[in-house]
Amino acid sequence: MPELAFQPRTAPALDIEGLSYSYPGAISTLRDVSLTLAPGEFTLLAGRSACGKTTLLRAACGLVPHFHGGEIEGSIRVAGMDAIANGPGQLASAVGYVAQDPETQVVSTTVAAEIELPLEMRGDPATSRARAVEEVALALAIPHLLGRAVDTLSGGELQRVALAAALVTRPKLVLLDEPTSQLDPVAGDELIWLLRRLNEEWGVSILLAEHRLERCLAAADRVIAMDAGAVSFDGSPRDFLAWAQQADAALETPAARLFSLAGIEPLPIGVRDARDVLRRGQGAGGPPAETCEPARSAPSLSDRRGFRPGDPRPPASATAAEARNLWVELSRGDERHDVLKGIDLKVSRGERVAMMGRNGAGKSTLLRALAGLVDPARGKAEAPGGMALLSQNPSDYLVRERVGDELPGDVGLSVLRLVGLESAVDADPRDLSGGERQRLALAIALAGRMEGNELPGLVALDEPTRGMDRARKHDLQELIEGLAGRGAGVVVATHDVEFAASFAERVILLGDGVVIADGPAAEILSGGWYFATEVARILDLPGVITPEQGVVHLDSGELR
Amino acid sequence: MRSPFAYAPRRGPLQAASPGAAVFYLGALLVVAFLYSSPLVLAAVGVAAGLAGVLACAGSAVRAAIKLGLVIAVPIVVVNALVVDRGETVLLRLGEWPLFGQVNVTAEALADGAIFGLRAVVVMIAFAVYSACVDPDRVLRALRPIAGRSALTAALISRLVPVAAADASRLRDAGRLRGPAAAPLGRATLIRRLMAGSLDRAVDVAATLELRGYSLAAPDTAARAKGRSRFDHRFYLAGGLVLVAAIAGKVIGADGFHAYPTIEIGVEPATVALSALVVLTGLAPGRRNA
Repeated sequence: MPELAFQPRTAPALDIEGLSYSYPGAISTLRDVSLTLAPGEFTLLAGRSACGKTTLLRAACGLVPHFHGGEIEGSIRVAGMDAIANGPGQLASAVGYVAQDPETQVVSTTVAAEIELPLEMRGDPATSRARAVEEVALALAIPHLLGRAVDTLSGGELQRVALAAALVTRPKLVLLDEPTSQLDPVAGDELIWLLRRLNEEWGVSILLAEHRLERCLAAADRVIAMDAGAVSFDGSPRDFLAWAQQADAALETPAARLFSLAGIEPLPIGVRDARDVLRRGQGAGGPPAETCEPARSAPSLSDRRGFRPGDPRPPASATAAEARNLWVELSRGDERHDVLKGIDLKVSRGERVAMMGRNGAGKSTLLRALAGLVDPARGKAEAPGGMALLSQNPSDYLVRERVGDELPGDVGLSVLRLVGLESAVDADPRDLSGGERQRLALAIALAGRMEGNELPGLVALDEPTRGMDRARKHDLQELIEGLAGRGAGVVVATHDVEFAASFAERVILLGDGVVIADGPAAEILSGGWYFATEVARILDLPGVITPEQGVVHLDSGELR
Repeated sequence: MRSPFAYAPRRGPLQAASPGAAVFYLGALLVVAFLYSSPLVLAAVGVAAGLAGVLACAGSAVRAAIKLGLVIAVPIVVVNALVVDRGETVLLRLGEWPLFGQVNVTAEALADGAIFGLRAVVVMIAFAVYSACVDPDRVLRALRPIAGRSALTAALISRLVPVAAADASRLRDAGRLRGPAAAPLGRATLIRRLMAGSLDRAVDVAATLELRGYSLAAPDTAARAKGRSRFDHRFYLAGGLVLVAAIAGKVIGADGFHAYPTIEIGVEPATVALSALVVLTGLAPGRRNA
């Protein structure tokens, strides 16, 4: 019998043995990490913020230690190539890397040039470059972007272009660091299933670091969890959920939380899985988890900041912000187009509002118009009681080397106290954690806009949960509740449906510059598919959006 | 909003020229600006660079550069007048100042500072024309044979301006959103933060370049050939003429300016001729023979 010409790839896509690493002048970031990814495997990398996920991905593409320096021990092999002996350039044909911030991943002025660059660097002839660019653009549904300048693209479009540039060399392994953090739910879901399709059809191995596990767990073959630089779990998605239930509740998905509260096993890895279990009524009863939040010995952030239910609160009818027939026109490249098209809305003081919509729907522009950063082409946008806006990148607010220098005097100290940072007055802002930097930026936006202890009428946050793990989102939720409790209307532009469900009482859904839905959060977040929580998609019950709400219906037996 | 310094693809000889030719031409103007102190020659270089920018459809970049250059130039003039205690024509006696001692403002120190300031404006204009008209993608590729081992160098040269322009826009917005009781975002603070942030971001861009294989072996010779343009000879010729005339002028003493002890501005025929030639080369990006 003739020997088959086709030889399946046998070298692991990634083989790491005993890897320990420290950045220059820093303590150990990775500790004795060993793992092997088989060719064609789709692996999810989970873990809290700063647990070493990004460093592991950097090591797998050669940036660590070749670009970042530091001390490294152990071995890394990518598709058979030694990643410590070879630099990222040599590994470029074997591994593609997509980082969290797409803006730092584009080095060319046009989309076509950006995607073509790795092939050009490799010396591929022009004809094969053109074909590869066309094919990868088709695969990622971006052929219409090829002629565009990169500085005219939205965050979601940029992320796809960065992925295309990583895939164009047809690498055996693709590493992605929170690629959906800047994408709306539609684009995020599309990206995950696109990765799954590329994984199945092209045989590409995927190693994907994500915080929003509910978005990608169902697509994964395997989950690796990290904690303090070491691998703490390595197994199947279903085993991961059982492990997370015991080891770290912050890593549980809403669906798993729903089932564990109801005492149903096995825990579901996604919406379809959960619905199948419920439809068949096969869930084995297990001991239900506590239905209330675990008791905390330490006082909550809102307690520490002095937000009390008894604080004076303006009447709910007091207007925090109002837009009347608001039209805003912005330029995109050389063209001008309407970003907001006749928006009418009113936000009251004390209200907690989530503003949602796909990338480019006009959320940020609406907040900027209310803050007076862009002029309306027609209509009015106003915040009568003043407004503090925290834009997408809190680091832009931090321009000095000492927290106290950012916020001088008694006013500064009082606003630092408000956000719980009074003890960090002598710290360098760059030494603060991500959550602390965000609170400091908010304090800077608030400083001098408060009358006595009274907050400005409107506090707005633009995409504040980028790169946050669930524990930090919980802190942010408490901060928002505290601000609203003290009488500010709080508007949060977010793509994070689960986070919106956790804090918002009202959701405004924007689509292409117009308000397409505006109502109670429970109604809006349970009445659709993309802009609905995982629990809402599983149970499909009006007004049921959180595991705690869902378990009531499961306990009553109406769905089993 | 797009920065006026950001490169925009347009159909013009300067944009079509290879990066080497464009850099040679604009670089020649800069060499003259640094070689000469004659206000006439410096003004001629400024006019030439501005004219080149306008003819290359980068008038907004030229205007922004003049504004930014003046912001830099005015403090230079003031500081020079305060710290330089030379010159015979005392205009103001400001008495004893801490650290400075006796401060006399002289016409010569003002004139000397004005020359430094004018040079700063001229450099800004030339750099703005480069940034707005020379495709950074082609610069990146052109740099590869000489900076292939240093993606950071390439990123700094080709991407620092666009990255800094985007960052500056965001930082200015954040500055407007600071509460009235927060420390104000002064121009010096903004520039310091911008420089630090831009270098950080250039490092990120350099990491991406490494991942794209920038440091891999030989560049594609076909791509280099594609980078040449029929307009190249025009800019090499203009730049070469400027350089030869500038060196010759320096040899025969066309740079007749001295600030101290009293101001002397020589307007010899050679200075006038050099200035006229420099201004004429500003027409090189014109489309008449395109």
